[in-house]
Order: sequence, then C-alpha cells, then structure tokens
Amino acid sequence: MSQFTRRTFLKLTGGAAAVTASGLYLPSIGRAAAPRVVVVGGGYGGAVAAKYVKKGLPSADVTLIEMNEKYISCPLSNPVLVGHRDMKVQTWGYEGLKKHGINVVIDEVTGIDAAAKKVTTKGGKSFEYDKLVVSPGVELKFGAIEGFSAEAAEKMPHAWKAGPQTLLLKKQLESMTDGDPFIIVAPPNPFRCPPGPYERASLVAHWMKKHKPKSKVIILDAKDAFAKQPLFVSGWKELGLNVEWKKGAEGGKVTKIDVAGMTVTAGDMGDTYKSSCINVIPPQVAGHIAHVGGLVNDKGWCPVNPATCESTLHKDVYVIGDACAIAGLTDKDALPKSGYAANSEAKVAAANIVAALSGKEAGDPSYANTCYSILTPDYGISVAHIGGVSEGKLKITSTAISPPSADLGAGKDTFRKQEAIYAEGWYQSIMADTFA
Amino acid sequence: MQKKKSTTLLTSALLAGGLLLAGSAMAGASPEMLSNTCAGCHGPDGVSAGPSMPSIAGMPAKHLEGMLKEFKDGSRHSTIMVRVAKGYSDEELKTIAEFYSKLKWGDAKTNPNMVEDTKVDPALAKKGKAIADKQCEKCHEEGGVKQDESTPRMAGQWLDYLLIKMADLKDPNFKVPQEKKMKEKVDKLSVDELKATAHFYASQAK
Ligand SMILES: Cc1cc2nc3c(=O)[nH]c(=O)nc-3n(C[C@H](O)[C@H](O)[C@H](O)COP(=O)(O)OP(=O)(O)OC[C@H]3O[C@@H](n4cnc5c(N)ncnc54)[C@H](O)[C@@H]3O)c2cc1C
Ligand code: HEC
Ligand code: HEC
Repeated sequence: MSQFTRRTFLKLTGGAAAVTASGLYLPSIGRAAAPRVVVVGGGYGGAVAAKYVKKGLPSADVTLIEMNEKYISCPLSNPVLVGHRDMKVQTWGYEGLKKHGINVVIDEVTGIDAAAKKVTTKGGKSFEYDKLVVSPGVELKFGAIEGFSAEAAEKMPHAWKAGPQTLLLKKQLESMTDGDPFIIVAPPNPFRCPPGPYERASLVAHWMKKHKPKSKVIILDAKDAFAKQPLFVSGWKELGLNVEWKKGAEGGKVTKIDVAGMTVTAGDMGDTYKSSCINVIPPQVAGHIAHVGGLVNDKGWCPVNPATCESTLHKDVYVIGDACAIAGLTDKDALPKSGYAANSEAKVAAANIVAALSGKEAGDPSYANTCYSILTPDYGISVAHIGGVSEGKLKITSTAISPPSADLGAGKDTFRKQEAIYAEGWYQSIMADTFA
Repeated sequence: MQKKKSTTLLTSALLAGGLLLAGSAMAGASPEMLSNTCAGCHGPDGVSAGPSMPSIAGMPAKHLEGMLKEFKDGSRHSTIMVRVAKGYSDEELKTIAEFYSKLKWGDAKTNPNMVEDTKVDPALAKKGKAIADKQCEKCHEEGGVKQDESTPRMAGQWLDYLLIKMADLKDPNFKVPQEKKMKEKVDKLSVDELKATAHFYASQAK
C-alpha cells in the first residue's frame, strides 16, 4: 500500500514530494506539497539559515521576512566612525537570496503563533510554516538606565545597530570639543559583540591623536572584566592610545543619565562626567519579536537545544543569532553574540530543518566563531571558538585569543598587521556567505 | 635554532591564551556540518570573496590535510589557523580536507562574489613573470596553475594572501615549511622580487 501511495504521490507532485518517501513529511490535503520554512530577520543569522535550507532542500518553499530593504552590517562599522570605511561597503541587499529562489518579503513580523504555526506581519500578511527560524538580533533596553530612552539616543547615540546611529555618532565625534573626553557607557553581560565597545575605544583614541589631541576616551563599564582584555590593555599601552577603563566595581557603573546637561553619573560615590560626546550602549535582550512569540526565558533570551538550535519552549521554532541563549553565556562553554556565531548557528538550524523535512539524520552539530577587533588600521587581534555538543550541552573544544605581544617577539608588528588585513577578508567572505 | 625557539614560544603563548582540548564533541557531525563553518572566512564552498582570505576549494586532499595538521601542531606559521585547527581531531581534519578537495576551485579574478577587483599591478606582474618563469616554473608549472599532492596552486589566488605568504617565506620570525630546492631559490630573491611573483600568480586565471 505504501509503495503505491508513494509512487502515485511522486507522479502527482513531482520532485517536490520526494521528501514524502521517508513518510516523515506528509503534506495535508489542500496545501502546497513543498514544505514551508519561514525565516524572521535577514541578518547574519537569518539570511544564512534561509540560504542553507534552500541549498540543502531545493524543493522547500523558503520565505525570508525582513523589515528593512537594506541590511547594514554592524561588523566593521566602528571603522566607519573614524572615517576608515564608508557606509556604502557596510550596506547589503537581498537580490542574491532571491536568485537562490528564496521568497524575500520586506515587512515587519508582528506576531508568531507557535500553536497555529503561523506568523503575521504589520503589512497584514500571514504565513504558515512547517519550520520557523527566528533571528531578530537584540532589543536595546533603553529604560534600563535612569534618564535614557530612544529619544535620548538621538543626543547620546548608541550606534549599536548600524545605520543612522553610526553616522550620528560619527558627526558628534567630529564636532566634539577638543579636550572633552569621549565617554563610552559599556553594557553588562550578555550583549551583542563583547569586544565591540573596546574596539570602538581603540579606534577613536587612535583617531583623536590627530583630530582631538587634547581628548581621551573614558569607558564607564558595568562589568569588571571584558573580552580580549589583556590584548586590548597591552595594545593601548603599545600604541600610546589614551583610553581609561573604569570597571563596575570601581566606579564604572552608570546609574543616571542627563541628556539635557550632557552628563552621566556613575559609581557609588555618584561621580559625574560631562562631555560633548557620549556614547551610551544600553543593556540588551533578545529582539522584540522573540518576546511577542513567547520564546524568551526570564532573562530575556531564547533557550534552545544546542544540538539543533530548536527552541525548548516551542516545537518547530529555531532561534539563532544574538537572540539565542547559547550565545552570550559567561561560562567557558559558550559562544559570544557575534555575527560569526550567528552564521554558525544558522547552519546547525538549517541542517536540522533539512534533515527533519527529508526524514534524514542531521548528525551532531559543529560550531565555530571568530571575532576580529581592529585597534588601528595596522593592528588587529582575534578570538576563535570551535565547539560541538557533549551530553546535550555546548562543548567548546578550542578557544584562544591571539598570542600576547611578549610571546611574538620581533614578529609582533607583522603578526598584528596580518590580523588587521585578514579582518577585511573575513568580512568579505562572510558577507558573500550571507548575501551572495 | 632561532626559528625553533620562536615557534615554541608561540605555541605556549596560545596554550596560555585559553583552553585547548582535542576535539571530540563533534564525533557524529557530517562532513558538510564540519566544513561549512570554514565558509565564514574562506567563502561559500571554500571560494573566498577576497581580498586577503585564501580560497581553499579544489586543492588536493593530501595537501589540505597536511597544511591543517601543520597549523595544528604549530609547524606552519598562522595567525589564527592554529586556534581553529586545534578544535578538531586529526580524523575530523581529514574529513574536512576531503570535503574541500571535492569542491571546485574559483579564481579570484572571475569570482562572482568579489566586491573589489584584485589590485594586481601589471608592471609588477610582468616583472614577476620573468622571475617565476626562471625560478619557480619548474615546480609551480603552467604559471602556478599546476597542483598536485604536495605542490599548491598559486594561479588565481587572492593577491593580498599571496603577498603575505611571500613575505612569510623570508621572515625569520615565522616558520613556513619549504621544499629544500625552493628555499635555495627563495633565499636568493628579495622580498620585493617575491612580491612581484605574487602579482604575477594573482593575475593568472584558470
Ligand atoms: C559595533 C559592532 C561591531 C561588531 N563587530 C562584529 C565583528 O567584528 N564580528 C562579528 O562576528 N560580530 C560583530 N558584531 C555582532 C553582530 O553584528 C551580531 O552578532 C549579528 O548581527 C547577529 O546576527 P543576528 O542575525 O542575530 O541579528 P542581526 O544581524 O541584527 O539581524 C536581525 C535582522 O532581523 C530584522 N528584524 C528584527 N525584528 C524583525 C521583525 N519583527 N520583522 C522583520 N525583521 C526583523 C532586523 O531588521 C535585522 O535585519 C558587531 C556588533 C556591533 C554593534
Ligand atoms: C577566522 C577565519 C578563519 C577560519 C574560521 C578558518 N580559516 Fe583557514 N585560514 C585563515 C587565515 C587567516 C589563513 C592564513 C593563515 C593564518 O594566518 O592563520 C588561513 C589559511 C588556511 C589554509 C591554507 C591555505 C593555503 O593555501 O596556504 C587552509 C587549507 C585553511 N585555512 C583551511 C581552513 C579550514 C578547513 C577551516 C575550517 C575548519 C578554516 N580554514 C577556518 C582564516 C580562517
Ligand atoms: C623544487 C620545487 C619548487 C620550486 C622550484 C618552487 N617551489 Fe614553491 N612550493 C613547492 C612546494 C612543494 C610547496 C608546498 C610546500 C608545503 O606546503 O609544504 C611550495 C609552496 C609555495 C608557496 C606557499 C603556497 C601556499 O599556498 O601555501 C609559495 C608562496 C611558493 N611556493 C612560492 C614559490 C616561488 C615564488 C618560487 C620561485 C621563486 C617557488 N615557490 C619555487 C615547490 C617549489
């Protein structure tokens, strides 16, 4: 009987129904035979998930819903602030994904109904899915610091979502009073791009040498330690970059912001800092839509099974990228909230979706992350993570930052320069993997 | 002597920099799963979008595997590959090498993903051709197109990568395995002459 059904079905629906051979995916009467995969968010995570699902299962009907026409990359947006790069090279479109046969919809997802397996959009459309991928990035918690808000960010930019905010901060840097400090308010863990605030501090301090010689950078940090810290600290010294880092335990924790007076208040003693240029990077949680869809835990991030990236709260929903809780844990067996980790999680989710829809075994996952940071155009550093899953938990098999300068001896300058050169190569390749 | 010391230092530096364990958490991962993670740096299907990351698709499996293991044990200079390779068991590296060896090489010059053209300088490429014809063609045949189990392809590789590689060959701080006969030739050339050959090889397609 099953033989007959299978053959008839294949004849009726062609290649698209090949997946039914396993009996795992059985389309119900009255709807398209191809399995439907919907992806919410077309950034470092979502775009890759859409592409690799389509690549692994060409018969799938893949829809990517992204609210912006153009994607502006955060990675390498810090060099934009100091005029080393143009916004043009940060900006990407969805033509490449369309060419792969992905249905790209520019609209904002406003609802996820995991029970009905359906998403709805601001534009009034609705999309049913067999598998859903959610990769909305982060939501900035504007209200978490007294006196800060979305409006306040127009005067004290965060520049933590690349775009107009990046250009606003750039303009403020250029017009700031020479002699004022550039203040960065750095967020608590976990947050998008752990080395990002310190890369920004380095590049601005380097730029100041020429453009604001009387100024320096002050980082007011909610934390007592940060990513690649030994390398940043020694780099600042070697390069003569004027960066002062105040840790949370020693007066760095910002408690109040006054946009009108352009001051921030920090520490137990309530020290006040005033400047014509203040960059406030607020605390973060998973992108808003993940909250709407009931995909978050009590900390505001999305718990997933690290073997598959499937949500532990809703079946058939995969959460990847910054929103996902395996990225940004502070223990050693964790991935950071980075573009590379999002890319890697996307491939794990895609492989599992393809396998589930075609009745195959997905096998174990394999994860990779690397983050380059540029201190000056000739000085790059990096961190790498490689990992898999052991006993149901993420297991990092190798993680290390670039070697300290003392150990590189006479080869140090060349080594650091090579990493700065490779950072650009990384960007081009990962963007090709994402959008081409 | 000097060289040996600096690699030992380098390796211990990496050990100090973080936790390094042999990989085993990916025992049941498919070749695609293991290998697709490299694309974030080496480009989709191992064809880099440039300008500095090398393309790795279509190289002979033996050569790829050899390089990955040399990265892992520190006998081949790398900025980051040592830290990547250490995450995998030797068996996994072999699987990954085999995966990439079966993919198709893509020239930088004709790469559909590239954003910027390779910045080959025609005058330098000409100078480089003269040197390569005399000094390198014996092994890197057909203008660097040839590859076999031990000789890597150079034609059509990204210029910025070849420039780094050529400079590495002469850098006493970095260890790069070199064929004895090749080293004899390289020793007689200046870094600038070697860089000219990089322009030549980068300009070659096919
Ligand atoms: C200054 C800075 C520097 C960085 N540098 C690096 C670096 O060098 N290397 C690195 O690996 N990472 C870096 N990162 C981190 C990197 O940007 C993020 O980790 C990465 O973008 C995460 O990918 P994602 O898919 O989770 O989110 P995103 O890339 O932000 O993509 C989310 C997408 O979803 C869309 N979206 C959200 N909600 C909806 C909705 N409801 N409906 C439709 N669409 C929606 C958004 O418009 C967006 O396009 C940096 C970040 C910053 C801020
Ligand atoms: C963070 C980016 C990054 C990742 C991830 C990465 N590589 Fe590399 N790869 C490099 C860089 C940079 C070099 C040059 C050597 C160096 O400095 O580390 C390189 C060199 C190589 C080379 C030598 C090419 C040649 O012809 O000389 C091979 C082979 C290679 N990588 C394979 C891989 C494989 C396989 C993976 C995945 C398991 C991988 N790489 C992951 C950045 C990366
Ligand atoms: C005797 C044969 C021989 C000659 C002559 C020779 N090479 Fe090589 N070359 C090799 C082999 C074999 C390798 C691979 C070595 C390895 O990776 O262990 C190699 C590797 C290289 C590499 C590294 C490529 C990579 O992707 O890792 C460069 C660069 C290179 N050769 C440049 C040159 C240049 C320039 C010349 C001429 C001046 C030259 N070679 C002459 C045999 C030769």
